[in-house]
Amino acid sequence: MKSAVPTVQAAALVLLCLTACRRDVPEEPASGAHTTPFILDLPANFPVPIIPASNPLTEEGIALGRRLYYDTLLSRNGPFEGFACASCHHQATSFTTPTAGTNVLAHVNLAWGTNFLWNGKVCGTLEDVMRFEVEEFFQVDMAELNAHPDYPQLFQEAFGIDNITSDHVVKALAQWFRRMVSSNSRLDRHLRGELLLTPEEMNGAMIFLSEVGDCFHCHPLPLMTDNGFHNIGLASTFGGFDVGRFAITGAPMDMGAFKTPTLRNIALTAPYMHDGRFQTLEELVEFYNSGVQHSASLDPLMTKPGPSLTLGLTPQDKANLVSFLHTLTDEAFLTDPALGSPF
Amino acid sequence: MKTLPPQSDILRSALLPALLLTVVLPGCSKEDDSLPDPPSPTPGTGITLRLEHHADGVPLQFDTVLYTTASGHSYSVSHLEYYISGIRLLTADTGDVEPMIPGPFLINARHEASFDLGALPPGDHTGVELRLGLTPDLNLTGALPNTIENVNMAWPDGMGGGYHFMKFEGHFMNAGTPNGYAIHLGRNEILPTCLAPDDLHLNGSAQTLLLRFNLNEVFRSPHTYDLVSGSYSMGDMVLMGLLRDNCADAFTAAMEP
Repeated sequence: MKSAVPTVQAAALVLLCLTACRRDVPEEPASGAHTTPFILDLPANFPVPIIPASNPLTEEGIALGRRLYYDTLLSRNGPFEGFACASCHHQATSFTTPTAGTNVLAHVNLAWGTNFLWNGKVCGTLEDVMRFEVEEFFQVDMAELNAHPDYPQLFQEAFGIDNITSDHVVKALAQWFRRMVSSNSRLDRHLRGELLLTPEEMNGAMIFLSEVGDCFHCHPLPLMTDNGFHNIGLASTFGGFDVGRFAITGAPMDMGAFKTPTLRNIALTAPYMHDGRFQTLEELVEFYNSGVQHSASLDPLMTKPGPSLTLGLTPQDKANLVSFLHTLTDEAFLTDPALGSPF
Repeated sequence: MKTLPPQSDILRSALLPALLLTVVLPGCSKEDDSLPDPPSPTPGTGITLRLEHHADGVPLQFDTVLYTTASGHSYSVSHLEYYISGIRLLTADTGDVEPMIPGPFLINARHEASFDLGALPPGDHTGVELRLGLTPDLNLTGALPNTIENVNMAWPDGMGGGYHFMKFEGHFMNAGTPNGYAIHLGRNEILPTCLAPDDLHLNGSAQTLLLRFNLNEVFRSPHTYDLVSGSYSMGDMVLMGLLRDNCADAFTAAMEP
């Protein structure tokens, strides 16, 4: 990532030029704000991220969102008092943490997300899910923020406002989440011609990216998620949280369907599945190889040629597939100081 | 158990093309990140292209077992997404004209599928020809803009590269049990050419070119397609060949005011 224009004057000039040339120019944050535009530095094979015109990325907005992400003030007086986002989302493990029960989804590459939370309780933009987080989950106390010695000034710099509302907290957090981009894994670098994968990793790639393993339909390059919901056959009957998206839509075909998580940094995000039932990548691969269970809502993509739901992978195939999954680890993302705590 | 190709073949066929493309792509200008420009305006008034989906006249309703294949299996549809490209309006005198509507258009049948074609000249036509998928010049890895939708339609390089032409998925009943099916088409050799031999009158005013996709035709003729043996088509050139032939008459066309 890099900042596009370091000076306020240059930023103003850029905005002026954009206004003259484009009809879809992002809205200026707010009157009175003198912000510095921030351009995501993305590889050419990445899709254009979803950035609403009403919330363009700025250095000030991202810095504010980062501070909020790491600040337990966000939960003051709410049901999760004492917690920050970062309490359960650690950078070293791709902004997740191992837990019992409902698995904590990683915060990575959500700039391209359209469905959020395991069952898609929130769909839309990052602003939509941040509104859920601010108003329902953390129940952020705006009086605390407005009375804080630092935040009023930071919000003024980011949005040019004198009174902090949940809208501004939502926007700042959404900007921060868009900044959390992983695009420098060994696989990314291989695809850019910067290194070669090992023969084992290449064999795993072939399994992943062909009908042998058929992983790519739900986990396509480069984001490693299709943003969809699928019942992958973890069970043949469902109850409780296991009903998945059915709890939101009531549609029978959504029974047991969950959001496709990205596989980026998957080697570090154990346990796996919505309920954390698998502890290792080996267990995960074996499930797809031999453990898929039939049900009326089993996703058609889990169908295989012939009557069996198994893949028939050899031990070597499975080991190669695990090797390939390790190539999705992005050390730069996991150690980037710009993504760490500002405190 | 499938046998993996030798490592050297994997290198050549699977990831090296992707590597080369990613080397080439950064050299492309950002203007490439938009769909190909529509044809230059010609005399006439705006035409809207609209797609509808049905099974022998029964409108498509997702996730409900409402339809029956020619081989007698009742089925539902959970996902239908496809490209059309290379659209030609046919004329009685010359047989066809140059592609007037090159596309491509990506249709997700769960959403409204309506596209502004701009102006087309008035005239009478004897039908529409289109490709269900992408013409070879477009069916190259990375050739389309890197939208989330296009990325999700990618056809892996190791299987030929380019994009899925169509994803048509759902469930069918077999001996009283629901089973999944995933009909996927891709690869240039399998690109279906579809003909809708319907009279069309473009009157110079605002009109809609309505293309109606009859899903039952995918299973009907010239081959009676059996979902039990053909529940998963991707990578199976025989199955995809049957589907290509069957799709040839899957569309009808009409002009609406």
